[in-house]
Amino acid sequence: MSEKESLSISRSRVRREIGMQVLLIGLGLLVSLPIFIALFTSFKVPQEVITYPPRVIPQNWTFDNYVSAWNSNPFGRFLINSFIQTSLITIGQVLFSILAAYAFAILKFPGRNLFFYIVLASLMVPFELTLIPNFQLISRLGWTNSYQGLAVPFLASAFGVFLLRQFFLSVPRDLHEAAIIDGASNWRYLWQVLVPLSKGSIGAFAIFAFLSAYNQYLWPLIITSDIKMRTTQIGIRFFMVNLERGADWGAVMAATIVVSAPTLIAFLVAQKQLVKGIAMTGLKG
Amino acid sequence: MMENEALASRQLLWLKIKQTIEGYLYLSPTLIILGIFVFLPIITSFNLSLNRTAPFGSQMIFVGPDNYSRLLQDPSYWNSIRVTLLFTLGTVPTGLILAVLLAVALAYPVRRLSGLHRLLIFVPVVISSAVAGVIFRWLYHPVVGYLNYWLSLIGVDGPNWLASRDWALIAVILVSVWRQLGFNVIIALAGVQNIDSTYYDAAKVDGANAVQRFFHVTLPLLSPTLFFLLIINVINSFQTFGEIDILTQGGPGQATKTLVYSIYFDAFLGTPQRGYASAQAYLLALMILAMSFIQFRGFGKRVHYQ
Repeated sequence: MSEKESLSISRSRVRREIGMQVLLIGLGLLVSLPIFIALFTSFKVPQEVITYPPRVIPQNWTFDNYVSAWNSNPFGRFLINSFIQTSLITIGQVLFSILAAYAFAILKFPGRNLFFYIVLASLMVPFELTLIPNFQLISRLGWTNSYQGLAVPFLASAFGVFLLRQFFLSVPRDLHEAAIIDGASNWRYLWQVLVPLSKGSIGAFAIFAFLSAYNQYLWPLIITSDIKMRTTQIGIRFFMVNLERGADWGAVMAATIVVSAPTLIAFLVAQKQLVKGIAMTGLKG
Repeated sequence: MMENEALASRQLLWLKIKQTIEGYLYLSPTLIILGIFVFLPIITSFNLSLNRTAPFGSQMIFVGPDNYSRLLQDPSYWNSIRVTLLFTLGTVPTGLILAVLLAVALAYPVRRLSGLHRLLIFVPVVISSAVAGVIFRWLYHPVVGYLNYWLSLIGVDGPNWLASRDWALIAVILVSVWRQLGFNVIIALAGVQNIDSTYYDAAKVDGANAVQRFFHVTLPLLSPTLFFLLIINVINSFQTFGEIDILTQGGPGQATKTLVYSIYFDAFLGTPQRGYASAQAYLLALMILAMSFIQFRGFGKRVHYQ
């Protein structure tokens, strides 16, 4: 191959590479465009929000929409509610899944396989079937408009059990036997050996659990009627419905950004774990 | 000697009992929660579905399979089935095709982007159904919305999306496709990256071009992933609720009243008809169960289990 030829090959390769970069960034911007529109709209002055034809980028930037969204609704309270509900669910799911996964993967006892299949079978029961009975149960317990009502039905996760069990099984059994012979209890082995070894998988599951809990919609909608107990997702629904007449879309978009901020930040900080957690649902099948 | 053996076997038995107790203690939180909030409702909601709320009261009257036979004669229920099927037909194929195309593009090795393009394409995955609904409600705005403005640029006079019987369902479908895209691309990309590059090398040696390689290497080897995505997406679209509640509340008329929305409507809005809603929930659960079962079978066949 002459020098000229190899130069032209590498040049066409560079050109293809640049073309691909432009294409991928373009596709990315197209997919995320609705989020950017919400973001930019939230910084527009009222006249600009309803200008036709609409311009994506604001000309006069303002923070007023955030102030008016924050003042017209207890968004601080919504965020605290969501924080408590999400923390309870995430901690519960992670903790209880670790315990159950340990029993299924490491301990030997009669009924183990039967209960494992029962836990797996719960994945097949659709949420809609449990909705009405759980609503009635929580109402009877007097738990509507409470954090228990928001969180308790979701404290366990069959998916988490399945996932962590798979990981625990991949840890060599000799390690467990050696620890037990050395006089360690199962409890100590679990928390001092197995859990530190599984940090990656547990982290990925935790962030997945956080995301699903935070974005819940139907259950918090029916279980909270008091505005003080609403989560962010329900708060924004009523904010939008109430505002429709006034059509203060700038404030509504500011609210969508505030509501999405926790998950967007989590995504930016822990993109790898989150993607791993989601890809693992693919393994779940 | 004998005493020692007896002692050893007694110790062994004790160890077994201890481990059994320990095992069930570890399982108990999960079993209790799932038992109360997942398994018990299977029975309670069936029982509910055989009852009817008495007029002017909260008294339940046993009516046997009455709710089910009423459902099958209810044109509104058949409408919900039709809407749900149309919704599924609208979301799933579109979503899967877009996901595969984006995954193939993302699998292309590019330097100097440091994952920015992935970030931008994956990001809808963290957006909730409520937020997606609110943002798109703004984009669909009939007067100052972006969508109709963009359509006008190519000479199309956009409809009043959410108020039109013909377009509302399509509007909801678009939002759903968008929101599912992040998840679908992540799974599809994992599948594409799992394909051994030697298959591509062999195809290249055989002189296959990029399009041929896509249809003869990528797609067939991606089929287990696609099968998984297909079932998950069908199940998801049978369960979509948030977007619909935000965008249309099942309307206009009943144009976007899916099966799930109908359950919510009958159980929690106006005069609650929890028995009637439970019968609907039971039928929906059976449909979803059938799909899960198909998936479970397919899953068992293709993955080496344990």
